[in-house]
Amino acid sequence: MVAPAAAKPPTGNRKTFRRTKVSPAERVASLIIVVLLVAIGVVIWFKGKHYDPDRFALNADALKSTASAVEGKSGTARGADVSPGETKAAAKTQADGESEATVEPAEGATAVPATAAKGEPLEIKLDGLKPMGDTEFYNADNLFEKIDGRAPAYLNFNFQHLRCRSFSITGTSGSFVDVYEYRFDTPVNAFGMFALERDPKGGPLDFAPDGYASGMGFFFRQGPCYIQVMASDQNAKTLELAKSIAEDRAKILPADDTGLDARRRLPVTGLDSASVQFVQENAQGQAFLKNVFQANYDFAGKKLLFFLMVATPAEAATAWKSYQAFTGQFGGKVTALPDVNGAKLFAAQNFGTWKVIYQRDGEIGGVVDTDDADKARAFVEKYLEGQLK
Amino acid sequence: MKSEPDAIKAGESGDAASGGISRREFLVRAGATGALLAGAAAGGYALWQPKHFVPGFEPEKGLQLPSYAVEPNKALPSLAIAHGAEHDATVRAAIGALGGMDRFVKKGDVVVLKPNVAFDTPPALAATTHPETLRAVAKLVLEAGAARVYIADNPINSPAGCFLKSGLRQVADDLNLDLLYPESSSFAPLQLDGEVLRNWTFFHEPFKKATKVIGVAPCKDHNLCHASMTMKNWYGLLGGRRSQFHQYIHSIVSDFALMMKPTLVVLDGMNVLMKNGPTGGRLSDVKPMNTVVAGTDMVAVDSYGYTHLMERDLAELAYVHKAQARGLGNTNWKDLLYKEVQA
Repeated sequence: MVAPAAAKPPTGNRKTFRRTKVSPAERVASLIIVVLLVAIGVVIWFKGKHYDPDRFALNADALKSTASAVEGKSGTARGADVSPGETKAAAKTQADGESEATVEPAEGATAVPATAAKGEPLEIKLDGLKPMGDTEFYNADNLFEKIDGRAPAYLNFNFQHLRCRSFSITGTSGSFVDVYEYRFDTPVNAFGMFALERDPKGGPLDFAPDGYASGMGFFFRQGPCYIQVMASDQNAKTLELAKSIAEDRAKILPADDTGLDARRRLPVTGLDSASVQFVQENAQGQAFLKNVFQANYDFAGKKLLFFLMVATPAEAATAWKSYQAFTGQFGGKVTALPDVNGAKLFAAQNFGTWKVIYQRDGEIGGVVDTDDADKARAFVEKYLEGQLK
Repeated sequence: MKSEPDAIKAGESGDAASGGISRREFLVRAGATGALLAGAAAGGYALWQPKHFVPGFEPEKGLQLPSYAVEPNKALPSLAIAHGAEHDATVRAAIGALGGMDRFVKKGDVVVLKPNVAFDTPPALAATTHPETLRAVAKLVLEAGAARVYIADNPINSPAGCFLKSGLRQVADDLNLDLLYPESSSFAPLQLDGEVLRNWTFFHEPFKKATKVIGVAPCKDHNLCHASMTMKNWYGLLGGRRSQFHQYIHSIVSDFALMMKPTLVVLDGMNVLMKNGPTGGRLSDVKPMNTVVAGTDMVAVDSYGYTHLMERDLAELAYVHKAQARGLGNTNWKDLLYKEVQA
């Protein structure tokens, strides 16, 4: 007689273990996993069998952030079953024979879920205007879909959102006005982008201090917004309505000049207002010059480039030292000048051009890149003495 | 209780007796495993599609565009520069200097005209091909006897809006041309041995029946690649999220000289967008240059456009140099037989 196997001790060093019981939970879990694996396999097989051109043509999910615009003339995300080619353009001929530019969504275009909306539609209630489509919305991730290679310039100034809409002009033959409302993180960045694109020959606007009229358009900065109102042509009625739209936007958008203190310190006397620029970083190629405003001045018959930066006194002092150190390099000749009205000054000549730099409390600035050291110094001294208004 | 010989007779091994598995159980398990493996292999073999393209895993044998170029003619110029105040007369003068449209388009040809309609902006802003330039080219093509003329582009904005507001739809309507908007079914995978463009979805529909292809591009500043002219114009035929190529902008623009061998290219330099491109927005960004350049060598046409219309240093326009280095064109346009005329 032998003893039952289970009662036998292990042989050698081998440890034997044999599961004798699998719990129902484990059985259910393993069954679910197997079923899921089979289901995944079937889905992969099915998807792989069919070439899906939309895989490349349009990733609608990736564009949901712009979905609120899909019913409009230029919606980048369309209804789930609407392809790009299914939008239709219609030049509706009116009874009087004039055509009115209109772009409509395709028949059957699905309504966009309200939850996808990114903001309020751009509503402008003016006689003679008719929206050509819905408001389009873009953010930093998809701005390139609207302005393509121009987008990086806007992103450099911390662009946040764009909403835009087109309006046809009733009673005209296909005339329209495009309204773009770019929103940045701060008024100063909005100003920076506005200034970058400014038309130096643009005429001033009486309803927006930071603005100008240029040919077929009106461009201005108000608060953190940069507004562009562009007419399709130079027809008097079109331009008149474009101006009315610009005035309407200027009236509605809140004024906010936060961060633009330095802009306001630029003296007005002799200022070429179209030349005012805002440079976020590395002004004049110097890392210590940030958030700088600069402009051209006509001073005693000489064109001078004047800049200033407003920071904390400590930052301004650091920048002052760095500026002196830089100008002393490469054979630069630095000359200390007498203080003026509490400001320190120096003049320097580098590579054949002069600069006169000052620092007073949290402000540093000066005239740069000029061949006339005397006029540069006179300009800076008059500014510091408050003689340039 | 069994005796030990009885247990062995019953098929239990010593291991089984010590807690292992029996021979029978081993064979059953081995058989089941083998059957599973064989089944998986058979299933995989049945489902295997050697020619199936899985993006990112397998290079696909996509389509390659044929050359639409005509036979070179050593007696006639391959580059023409025309100056004039009117679009129609200037385009005619440029094409005439090349020997006339009859040299390029024959009776019965199916011609694709590819304008740049990237934005829904009015013609005066010069961000798109001017409608009067397209009209002039289309009329010449029709006069040459083309059986059918397609106008096609895949703008980043809504195609309907772009064609309408740029004025190009009106041209199509007036001349009874076929305006093709991109639809999801209009695209097919393109295969190219490009520097960056290899497998990509392409607006193929217009080219299915085309026998001739003419690019009609504006001359304009571009924030990323300095200038958008006849080579960059073909970017508008790509589908998908093509903006990802922006980081290799010069490489992909040079690839277009490999991708497309057009019959002819026409550079619309009547009004040039000199700054704030590619969109512009101000009339002050636009400079009248009253010039149309036509030719069979895109690299040469763009080189002329960059230096003489945009008035810039060609050394900075990397994509034309890349294309020339690959034998796809000549930046030294004066090396070609060229003709400069007044309309």
